[in-house]
Amino acid sequence: MKKIFIYVSVLALMLCGCQTDNSDKKNSNETTESVSEISQTDEELAPQIYEGDGDDPSTLDIFAMDTYMNVKAYGENSYDALILSSDEIQKLEDIFSVTNKDSEISKINESAGNFCEVSEDTSSIIKTALDYCQKTDGALDISIYPVLREWGFTTGDYKVPDDETIKNLLKNTGYEKIETNENKIKIPENYEIDLGSVAKGYTSDKVSEILSENGVESALLNLGGNVQAVGSKPDGSDWKVAVVNPFDESENLCSIKINNKAVITSGNYERYFTDDNGNKYWHIIDPETGSPARNGIVSATVIGEKGVMCDALSTSLFVLGTEKAVDYWKKNGSDFEIILVSDDKEIYVSDGLTDSFENLSDMKVNIIER
Amino acid sequence: MKDKKTIIILLSIIAVIVIGSVIGIFYVSRPSESNTVEIVSNGKVVKTLNLSTEKNNSFEVENNGKINVVEIKNGKIRVKSADCPDKVCVDSGWLKSSDLPIVCLPNKLIIRFTKNSDDIDSVSK
Repeated sequence: MKKIFIYVSVLALMLCGCQTDNSDKKNSNETTESVSEISQTDEELAPQIYEGDGDDPSTLDIFAMDTYMNVKAYGENSYDALILSSDEIQKLEDIFSVTNKDSEISKINESAGNFCEVSEDTSSIIKTALDYCQKTDGALDISIYPVLREWGFTTGDYKVPDDETIKNLLKNTGYEKIETNENKIKIPENYEIDLGSVAKGYTSDKVSEILSENGVESALLNLGGNVQAVGSKPDGSDWKVAVVNPFDESENLCSIKINNKAVITSGNYERYFTDDNGNKYWHIIDPETGSPARNGIVSATVIGEKGVMCDALSTSLFVLGTEKAVDYWKKNGSDFEIILVSDDKEIYVSDGLTDSFENLSDMKVNIIER
Repeated sequence: MKDKKTIIILLSIIAVIVIGSVIGIFYVSRPSESNTVEIVSNGKVVKTLNLSTEKNNSFEVENNGKINVVEIKNGKIRVKSADCPDKVCVDSGWLKSSDLPIVCLPNKLIIRFTKNSDDIDSVSK
């Protein structure tokens, strides 16, 4: 019956011709000018920053770190703060990018075997990443890059390497051998590192800091699917953040309410390829096997105050698999919460989220208690 | 006698359409800030998009050789250009509310927010 009503109303609207709400014409005119540029240049477009007005936030749209980033910031100073944020994102991309030959990461990789002096940002992110490599007992490993590249995940030139190749490449991995000394980093010869598992999280922390320092009390970042909130919504209520359904990206799996926190997800749907036999291979590599991590998890979400922690841990928990991930949270989860989705379509939610957790799927929910 | 009957039938058809429209519009326009949009071409949903995660881009929706170019930008959606004669869909601008979809009658295209609306601020993936 509802369908008929909709049909009839649509019919009625069609009879009225093409109409929609034009009350906000000023706003659409403002943005129209640059529209044609965007669709033409697409990936290469320069950052777009729009100044907010009244209740509307200022917005920043930028392509960086191989992804699309959007920041909405509210309040008087939001426009200026977004200009600074945009600069920061570009700066961090320049120094962290493993594909940019002039980046600091490339310099570290080129000088493998020797200490390489880097900026405060680079040494800080590497030290933090190594900390999580250690805490997760190698489930995270920033030295896995040569293996990731062999699978083609860095270039899009996908292939399944043979066991021998993987075995040989794994000989030159292992975070334990990376040395740090103040702002100097040394990786062993033939090693290569990349910060793909932590760079966006580090960036959202830095941008959040910049926004706060510049008087923005309310902002929401989405850096290629990594969500981070500065404060709460302008009206003081919590942000409602959804996690995408790993089995159907057009649907949301669940939603939670947060303020001042990051919500970061690692999923097997983000970057993957399928071989001739229909086997799916995704970009999250298990450092132990050198192959895509297949330990029962298809999506791992971490919610906590620090973006870099959530980023590092979402990758780690994905690699660990359901059982070990739950154990890890029970032992170390005093400052973060988790949402895991298993390959047999069940959701595991840590009990700190139960107040705001809303299941938007038809999957079974298991509450994990501390 | 026959005329009267025809008028009654006509009037009831009009009444059904009017009442149906009113109820339908109420149904479609429940207060919402949904960010999920569906594109309906010739009566079929051809694409469902989550505007909060969708990259800025534009694409063509084709129906029987007739083309509307749909653009997504900064979490908004509109018909950027079309080969229909009246261009009313283009003039409609960005899709603003679930009350009124963007409709291109000649090309049988509808762009609207999905019905089961929620108030999701951002999507983690």
